[in-house]
Amino acid sequence: MEKILTKQSFPEWIEKLSAYKVYAPIKKEDHWDYEVVEKAVGLDPAYGNAVLSPKKIIFPQREVLFEFGSQTKEGFDLKENLPEDEAVVIFGVRPCDAKALTGTDKVFSGDFEDPYYRKRRDAATLVGLSCNTPPSKNCFCLSVDGSPFSKTGLDVLLTDLGETYFVETLSDKGEQLVNAASAFFSDSKKKEKKEVEKLQIDAEKKIVRQVKDVKSLPGKLKEIFDSSFWDDESLSCIRCGICTYLCPTCHCFDICDEVTCEYPLAGKRVRTWDNCQFPDFTMHSSGHNPRPDKASRLRQRIQHKYNYFVERYDEYQCTGCGRCIGKCPVGIDIIEVLNKVNEHGA
Amino acid sequence: MAEEFEPKIVAFLCKWCSSAGSDLAGVSRMKYPPNVVPITVMCSGSVSPLYILSAFNQGADGVLVSGCHPGDCHYIEGNYYARRRIALVRKLLQYVGLEPQRFQMSWVSAAEGQKYTQVIQDFVDTLKPLGAQKKLRRKK
Amino acid sequence: MVNLEELKSEIKRVLGEGKVKYFIGYRRSTGGLPAAPFFMKETEDVERLIWDPTCIANLTRFLDDEKKRKARQKEPDTRPIGIIVKGCDSRAINVLLQEEFIKREDVYIVGVSCEHSGMVDEKKLAAKMKGKAVAQVDFAGKDNFAVTAADGEKTGIPAAEVLAGRCVECKVDYPVVRDVTFGEELARSPGNAFKSVEKIEAMSVAERWDFWKEQFDKCIRCYACRSVCPMCYCDECVVDTINFAVTAQTGAKEKAQKIKWIEKSPATSENFFYHMVRAMHLAGRCVDCGECERVCPVDIPLRFLNKKMEKEAKELFDYDVGMNPELPSLVSSFRDEDAEDFIR
Repeated sequence: MEKILTKQSFPEWIEKLSAYKVYAPIKKEDHWDYEVVEKAVGLDPAYGNAVLSPKKIIFPQREVLFEFGSQTKEGFDLKENLPEDEAVVIFGVRPCDAKALTGTDKVFSGDFEDPYYRKRRDAATLVGLSCNTPPSKNCFCLSVDGSPFSKTGLDVLLTDLGETYFVETLSDKGEQLVNAASAFFSDSKKKEKKEVEKLQIDAEKKIVRQVKDVKSLPGKLKEIFDSSFWDDESLSCIRCGICTYLCPTCHCFDICDEVTCEYPLAGKRVRTWDNCQFPDFTMHSSGHNPRPDKASRLRQRIQHKYNYFVERYDEYQCTGCGRCIGKCPVGIDIIEVLNKVNEHGA
Repeated sequence: MAEEFEPKIVAFLCKWCSSAGSDLAGVSRMKYPPNVVPITVMCSGSVSPLYILSAFNQGADGVLVSGCHPGDCHYIEGNYYARRRIALVRKLLQYVGLEPQRFQMSWVSAAEGQKYTQVIQDFVDTLKPLGAQKKLRRKK
Repeated sequence: MVNLEELKSEIKRVLGEGKVKYFIGYRRSTGGLPAAPFFMKETEDVERLIWDPTCIANLTRFLDDEKKRKARQKEPDTRPIGIIVKGCDSRAINVLLQEEFIKREDVYIVGVSCEHSGMVDEKKLAAKMKGKAVAQVDFAGKDNFAVTAADGEKTGIPAAEVLAGRCVECKVDYPVVRDVTFGEELARSPGNAFKSVEKIEAMSVAERWDFWKEQFDKCIRCYACRSVCPMCYCDECVVDTINFAVTAQTGAKEKAQKIKWIEKSPATSENFFYHMVRAMHLAGRCVDCGECERVCPVDIPLRFLNKKMEKEAKELFDYDVGMNPELPSLVSSFRDEDAEDFIR
């Protein structure tokens, strides 16, 4: 279904969605962040991309898995804590971030389906916003099978045509969203469709950064696993968690017990984000750490995204959003590293 | 009528003076409010800011650090270090928006059972109107 | 003015003579700014060295890495490492010397003076350029920067408009400890060095709480503030879930009894705990290099927190951070006349 929505009607559309919890990017000091919309307004034309992708809604940083209490005759007193049944709609999702979620879907819905993730994912409708201009100077989605107009993982895709949005519904969930306020939408004409196609071609030209010869990376990465290359590349790494926490595809987590009362026993088992760049991520209880230095941790991040994940799921675990490049405190640039990998030993 | 709010105070008392002072108050059968959880430490200088923040985190409505008077420290100068450190903790707590009355320090010697009861009584009286400390408290 | 060629030849000389193991400086990052830390091992590496107002990173943070690397090696190379420091960075070295974390002979210090201007704040510059990408920023005489946009257009911008907050409130913008200095050591008076803090002090208790709650609730606990800090060199941090002091000899009981001060969940109470513990640990040690605030991905104004401690140290105890490595540190010293008006 292809429709046209005027920008004036956009807030009214949001207001019609009272059955949903609506998230949209909200401007903070110097960044954007997805937050629950309290008052419907239009999408700011200055919006680039949010500092944290919609991952933070689908796979929240903290998830209570279950609550536990004292042991009774029947066993421990346990109470599962699945997410509430609540339909969510997220506006302004960039195509790279939506595509990232399809990768994470594979991880959490493989042999074992993660009910917490699944429930939140199924409840969410993603309304994308195609990138007429790249949101960041570090965008490189074209190198990793993506596009500024990619529809993968989205339910609706909006394209900004100046006064109006060109609206494409891409799933049943998406159609429902449009049908909730069908009066605001008019049918699209050929001319508008043409315009979108032209915008896409222009947008792709504006993406300047690229990973060279990306297809050869998995093989190359296997070869240089033991190379001192990683020592040199990681010298300036400070082992913080920015690159991974901001990454839309990173999904590692830790599970902790938060005991609220020692006696009678009570507490929660909680899942929180965790991250391969922290030294304690791989620390064994014996004191041995198989990834003892920055080099092995940087290697892990790159290898996971461009080798291990490709081996397992036949796609990159990177969608080219450029967050890890722009926010790295010491200017470690994944594109630069990957291009060096390709040249290494050549 | 709703029950009156009873604040919970965590008091870090040095073993040599303030803890002995509280003992004196006890054996002398002086009366003071039962709102204190006393924790005996070896010296007021051994009270890490971590203990104080942790007490608030675990739900204390007020925290008291009490040690020997200047010049009386069993370890000669522990309480001087404490004085400096606690001053900084106090400023920090105020700076982030905790009510300044919630954190106090006192000098109570082993002979000052009376003063100890007074310190506690006054602390409880100041804390009551403030109500429960929810700002830094961990949500259960 | 700092002459980049002279700076380069000095570093080449030192590297060439084999006096140092490697030299830490700055190179242009792929994004243009800020400059990235740059580890030079060979004299030909030095060609890529830069010195301009984008060299904002405090490189002394890597002295911790070097110390830990050395500790792991059986036969470590004991030569010093070379490092480029600005005024604020040099004060960090003083604190590390004061705490005997490093020895003076462990580092060969090349100091550079900021000569009355300072470093560019990336965000302020972006706002000033209205979204136009910047390729390069250069010093352009007193209190001016020359900005080259990605499309080649050049503009002059008064430094004051895009200066990093730390530089606006900087008291000593030349290195206080160094082996050699480039640029002039000019006295400077920033006026009120604690202006940013006073804004928050003027708020009511409730307003202050609301301010900090909003800020700390944003925290995602990536620990970039801790990781970038030259003072956060502890082997084990209060927020780490695992005891790094474990060895093969550590018993199960000891491991199980590790105190869990803080939950991993990014809740209000836990985020406050983390940032307050960090502020306390930096009291009298923070040199206001402002790196924690710069790297924060969610823009928490951490300088306001650490600067407050610096202000109290100055006002209550007349203590200047990082000016004299011979003095005892703030919390391991006292004066008889320290204030005790708050004690009963």
